[in-house]
Amino acid sequence: MPVLNGRELRIVGFLCNWCSYGGADTAGVARFDQPTDLRIIRVPCSGRIDPLFIAKAFMNGADGVLVSGCHPRDCHYSEGNYYARRRLEVFKQFITVLGIEPERFEYTWVSASEGQRWQEVVTKFTDQVHALGPMAPIPEVALSKLAQTEGTDLRTAITEEA
Amino acid sequence: MAKYLKNDDLGQWLAELGTEYKIHAPVQEGRSIAFRPLTQDKILRIDRHATIGPKEILFPACEELMHFSYEKDTDNPGREKIRVQPADNAVPTLIFGSRPCDARGFDVFDGAFTQCAVKDNYYAARREQAVVVSIACTRTENTCFCNWVGGSPDGTNGSDVLLTPIQDGFVVQPVTEKGETLLQKGSLLTGAAPDQVREAEQLRAAACASLPEAPDFKCMPEQLYNLFDNMDFWEKQSAKCISCGACTYLCPTCHCFNITDERNGNEGERLRSWDNCMSRQFTQEASGHNPRPEKAYRLKNRVGHKFCYFPDLHEGHIACVGCGRCIKSCPVSLDIRQVVTSAKECHLPAEETDNE
Amino acid sequence: MMLDQLKETIKTALPELDFVMGWTTGYDPLHATPLYMYEPDDVDQLIWGPLNVHNLAVHLPALRHKKVGIVVKGCDSRSVVELLQENLIDRENVVIFGAPCNGVVDMTKIRKAVPDAHFARSVETADNSLTITTDKDTHTLSLAEVMADKCTRCRFPNAVEADHFVGEKRIPAVETDPYADLESFESQGFAERRDFWMAEMDRCIRCYACRNACPLCVCRDHCVAQSREPHWVSQRDGVRDKFMFQVIHAIHMAGRCTECGECERACPMDIPVLLLKRKLGNVIHDLFDYDAGLDAEARPPLLAFKLEEDSIKEKDW
Repeated sequence: MPVLNGRELRIVGFLCNWCSYGGADTAGVARFDQPTDLRIIRVPCSGRIDPLFIAKAFMNGADGVLVSGCHPRDCHYSEGNYYARRRLEVFKQFITVLGIEPERFEYTWVSASEGQRWQEVVTKFTDQVHALGPMAPIPEVALSKLAQTEGTDLRTAITEEA
Repeated sequence: MAKYLKNDDLGQWLAELGTEYKIHAPVQEGRSIAFRPLTQDKILRIDRHATIGPKEILFPACEELMHFSYEKDTDNPGREKIRVQPADNAVPTLIFGSRPCDARGFDVFDGAFTQCAVKDNYYAARREQAVVVSIACTRTENTCFCNWVGGSPDGTNGSDVLLTPIQDGFVVQPVTEKGETLLQKGSLLTGAAPDQVREAEQLRAAACASLPEAPDFKCMPEQLYNLFDNMDFWEKQSAKCISCGACTYLCPTCHCFNITDERNGNEGERLRSWDNCMSRQFTQEASGHNPRPEKAYRLKNRVGHKFCYFPDLHEGHIACVGCGRCIKSCPVSLDIRQVVTSAKECHLPAEETDNE
Repeated sequence: MMLDQLKETIKTALPELDFVMGWTTGYDPLHATPLYMYEPDDVDQLIWGPLNVHNLAVHLPALRHKKVGIVVKGCDSRSVVELLQENLIDRENVVIFGAPCNGVVDMTKIRKAVPDAHFARSVETADNSLTITTDKDTHTLSLAEVMADKCTRCRFPNAVEADHFVGEKRIPAVETDPYADLESFESQGFAERRDFWMAEMDRCIRCYACRNACPLCVCRDHCVAQSREPHWVSQRDGVRDKFMFQVIHAIHMAGRCTECGECERACPMDIPVLLLKRKLGNVIHDLFDYDAGLDAEARPPLLAFKLEEDSIKEKDW
């Protein structure tokens, strides 16, 4: 698929090695069309995902983050995705207080054989993030130090609080 | 000569100076007061002590020392070239509304950064370009103890101009040549009438009189050396400390820093940022050894540096200005005055203290 | 009366202990400070009342090799329970002294009501009020007006765990919506919420008082915020790194935070960082019906799972 309207967003995907990374590979081998916004990072297990990975991605300018692992009961390490499910659900509900729309983050389960499902998940998630548009960047600099005094009228600044 | 500035003219005066200087002043920010570049959307707060002083204007919490980038050497593909661009960001700056204690903090900085064998060019450039306009205190807070450490509510060390708030305005007095030059500019200053000067003097004298009597700290360096190995004393003094950096970061004289490279791909900056001696990492060595492994050692160092080691190196000048921020903003209300007076009164060597 | 009884109880227990932690009057009449009672004479300096804001449980993990006593408010006792639950302290080495708490003050609210609070000459506390006399005038404030928010919604005014409990147990106030503040914050748009944090975080001085005052921030000297490898936050003083640290702090507290509010109280720049932790507390309460610091034997929700989660609704693609 060509880049959507020539305007690609930055979406980070954390995929487990055993299922979802294989699923994405299956989709590729089968030549299913997929949006190109997603940058994939392979991790051993969805249970390896520290919610801070996702937070850091948002801080550094990601517009969306997708985590995908093995289906429940199918985890290569038996229980990793069960722990992940609780952690990721808590994180998804938490980010609203930071001012990040919960739709910018999703977690899902895709097995290595589900190339078709992978294509569907990526496409729907990319559309979902595009509906929100790019996220306002979180500045790396100190905001208060950006202010300039040159040429401003300071008279109005002098209003002391009692 | 003393001048006079009407309250109503303060904004206009600053506006005029703002054409030549970048003005930093204490403004309301959320629930705190901090020194920020003054703009018209800010609320100036000179009616009370700022939560954090003006230190970061001359000694930023984090400053870029240089920018660097790696490039392939086209003549020799096996090598990389490093391009380095030193940062230079000193501009004419006016610090308005500091208190005499805050300004005196810059004196300590000068001792450490410009009057030593190795001069800190980054600090020196900013200091050179800065004019400090302080406001004398006419009322002292419970945490104020500037008179204990050689200052006073109307002290002028480190300031270029001193303002004293009186009824409806300020008596404006130059302290240095820089200050003289500043006061020659601007159309709004008038000559102060003798009764205005007298009023200012009376207010300042009253503020000085309102402070508790100052103990004599001349013996402190020796006393603190004597207590150096008395860890029982330091453990008790530091028991409630939580080892955060509020005291050091808010301190007008604390000047320790850390230098790190922050690299992202082929680009990066070398940064200098505030460091904090209350943190364990401050003295953590690469070998794993840490000469100050516990908070008792770290508090000993902080008090020792201010009242013993620094005075030893700088003609007896105590590296504390008595602003009281470390007391007021300490999460556990640890009182440095109490630590120092306890140290002063502790006459017993280590063995005997145990039986006390 | 209750205080005398408390002092007697501590004095009786003191010979068996290295010391007992409590509170005493600090640098001025408005500020209490932690008190370490080594000798019976020290116990006489103990105070009890709305100025005892500090959560002394923060010191317990570092004192593991000692046998210590600790005086707790209801909220402090939850931190002790959480530390016990996480095996960070040993029950047999801690003696807990509890007493009914009527709530503690929020110094930020006091400074707002009495801008001259730093000139306080004397303070008198009654059951429901606080009278502050400064060098210029006298202010009488109702306790409700200047009480910490956590106290107005307190469910546990009496220690949830204590070896010695002194005084009449207090019945908690009728609970309204405990998360009303969060709801009101989240009624704003996402951009407004983000802008709020950008402005607040901007003045953070990275002193880490929030972290060090937190009784459950137990990594202490090995915090990821100060690690170069991994490099979670840089030394830059921009909003991004400061915000990132608060997110790290909050997430590391998920399912553990008892919302004692020490992080926010300790902040010298008055940044309302507790709200982030309250959000997590709310989410965890709703998802897993769990509150931290109530049962030392309970299993923390993020260290457990169910094959079928009844309250998690996964996205249906």
